[in-house]
Amino acid sequence: MRDWESMVVEYLSGLALEPAERAEVIAELATHLEETCEELRRRGIAEEAAVARTLSQVEDWQNLCQRIQSAKTKENIMTNRVKQFWLPSLLTLLLTMGLLMLIQLFGPHPWMVARKNGWTLVAPVAVVYLPWLLSLPVIGAMGAYLSRRAGGSRLAMFSSIVFPVLPYLVFFLLALPVMAIFNDRLAHNIMFGALFVGLFAWVLAPGAALLAGGLLIQVFSSRRLDSRRFVNS
Amino acid sequence: MIGPGIKRGTAELAVLSVLEDGPLHGYELARRIEQQTKGALRFTLAALYPMLYRMEQRGWIRGAWEISESGRRKRCYRLTPAGKKKLSPLRKEWAELFGALRRLTRVLHA
Repeated sequence: MRDWESMVVEYLSGLALEPAERAEVIAELATHLEETCEELRRRGIAEEAAVARTLSQVEDWQNLCQRIQSAKTKENIMTNRVKQFWLPSLLTLLLTMGLLMLIQLFGPHPWMVARKNGWTLVAPVAVVYLPWLLSLPVIGAMGAYLSRRAGGSRLAMFSSIVFPVLPYLVFFLLALPVMAIFNDRLAHNIMFGALFVGLFAWVLAPGAALLAGGLLIQVFSSRRLDSRRFVNS
Repeated sequence: MIGPGIKRGTAELAVLSVLEDGPLHGYELARRIEQQTKGALRFTLAALYPMLYRMEQRGWIRGAWEISESGRRKRCYRLTPAGKKKLSPLRKEWAELFGALRRLTRVLHA
């Protein structure tokens, strides 16, 4: 008796699905092949010829493997992307911006970073909301936890938690070359120094604070995984 | 208007129509389609299963393992309410295609 299952296991060796799902696909396809071969044998076809005809149903196993994988995972990718990236990103963005608004309205006065010239402040100026910056690691950790819990990769996790600073980063990335080109033609020259201070205050510092929270979750989850491996081994 | 997905739609229509009569496992499903279309439509393993898995992902059919009379474990597919709902627009598209082809061939033979 031919072992169809082992044969399918070998042919579909590249099938990257969850082990249980993979086993189900293999069992199902093996049963189909077995039944096809049995039917051919019942019709009086010799075993070797029946096996050859049965296997001729699949011209390219590699291609079948890809098509099964795509059919099984395409919809999952969409929902996973939402759970692992978009949901934590939007939550992080909402909390970061909401908290900033609340602190601006009700919180203490911001810390103004500027060069003083007598009684006046001279650019470069940065407005730093310290309570906001201090709360960002918690928000970052929440975003990272959500992404990690949904099975997100490191890239998905870290991208989702720096999501709130991305619009600012895009602004500065666009503003720098534009300034470099038009600076001499403007009546009031824009100061590069101000832009770099702004980049630090609105992109680098909040980004680092958010990442610090995410990093804690990453370290914590890696340690938990290691301890589980240790228990299982 | 006949949609661009008509080719795939016809294969899906065949599966949904056959499953409307009752649950079947993959091999039996392919055989039933072949018998009912007198061999005009044949599904090989390579064509059938990616399509079944895709339809299952969309929620039109649901597969579950069952033990057959011969004692063999088989995955039986049945139509879901979403699949039943999908059948009628697919049938309409299919009828539209045939109607258009019929009109076209009449013109050509006139």
